[in-house]
Amino acid sequence: MMLIFFFLALAVPASAWFVPEPQDYGAVIIRNFSGRAGLQPVRFDHWLHRSFYTCRLCHVDVGFAMEENGTKITADANSKGLYCGACHDGARTYNGKKIFSSCSKGAGAAGESEGAKRCNRCHSVGKAGEEQKYDYDAFTARLPKQKFGKLIDWEKAESERLIQPVDFLEGISFQRRALKAEKDFFIISKSTWMPDIIFSHKKHIIWNGCEVCHPDIFPSVKQGALRYNMLEISAGQYCGVCHNRVAFPLNDCDRCHRNPVGR
Amino acid sequence: MLAIVMASVAQLPTGNAPFLSPGPAHAQDDWRREFDSICAKTQDADTFSPQELKELISRCDALKSRVEKLEESPRKVALKRLQMCKDLFVYILQSKENNR
Repeated sequence: MMLIFFFLALAVPASAWFVPEPQDYGAVIIRNFSGRAGLQPVRFDHWLHRSFYTCRLCHVDVGFAMEENGTKITADANSKGLYCGACHDGARTYNGKKIFSSCSKGAGAAGESEGAKRCNRCHSVGKAGEEQKYDYDAFTARLPKQKFGKLIDWEKAESERLIQPVDFLEGISFQRRALKAEKDFFIISKSTWMPDIIFSHKKHIIWNGCEVCHPDIFPSVKQGALRYNMLEISAGQYCGVCHNRVAFPLNDCDRCHRNPVGR
Repeated sequence: MLAIVMASVAQLPTGNAPFLSPGPAHAQDDWRREFDSICAKTQDADTFSPQELKELISRCDALKSRVEKLEESPRKVALKRLQMCKDLFVYILQSKENNR
């Protein structure tokens, strides 16, 4: 076992072993236009939003980019029901509770007006006195945790129906049939000592559908032709676009490398 | 099972997409209907024949020029989504041709 960890440490760069604190895991700071509008940057917590919605809903249907600050969200777009405004329109509800509307153009951050308070709810990075509306520990107390630390085991949470992420937004999503999962397949490990990967399409499509991964992240059209390694993954390519950023981290090796060696 | 089906039906889009730009209502519905019709098929992309996929790709191209006439914000979102649909169809088509 020690030997495996030794080889693993050699194969995987240090960045893969560094995992942010659970409350900061998957946090995105959005700052494209905030400064110009006199507002603080926005902190977006994936852990909060993914307990309500699937990845696909936001990254396909709503159209959020997969890269931090890649979307270039504007107040104008929000006010037209795009991006954050697709849900944060002051009318849409989740579990019977109205979702607060996004910051409107010209509301500003100063003062105690309703508009300013609304802006500051998301535009809160570095703002003294601004408290997080949702506390990570309290919010995730009922959710299963991963093997290491306090990160949420989303797969388990979903399969046990502790969360039921919404995958359809009226007026935004396409009317579509349930997706039929492709069969699981093996990805052969480069090292003889490392178990091969059993890739589950089913587990991935629950959250992502097809378009999140294909062809942008996995462009190869011939099965087995695309070669990638842990260095590239830990640098944020391929599986690393999500894993070690939002989805479970790379230090949880046997969640992917789970086919026993020699079989 | 029945509850799931009923919940799905209850969530069907009304056609009043929030990102429609101002303009004649029939024109809005027209592009949006085509947009929905094309992109809803990404779910089944793997089941289509190469010919069907080529037709879908052509429809994406034809719709693109109409989407480009929308105002800035809706155009940006719709173009990105349309591109994702087209890219997936192209990807599946190439996969089928490669694995023949």
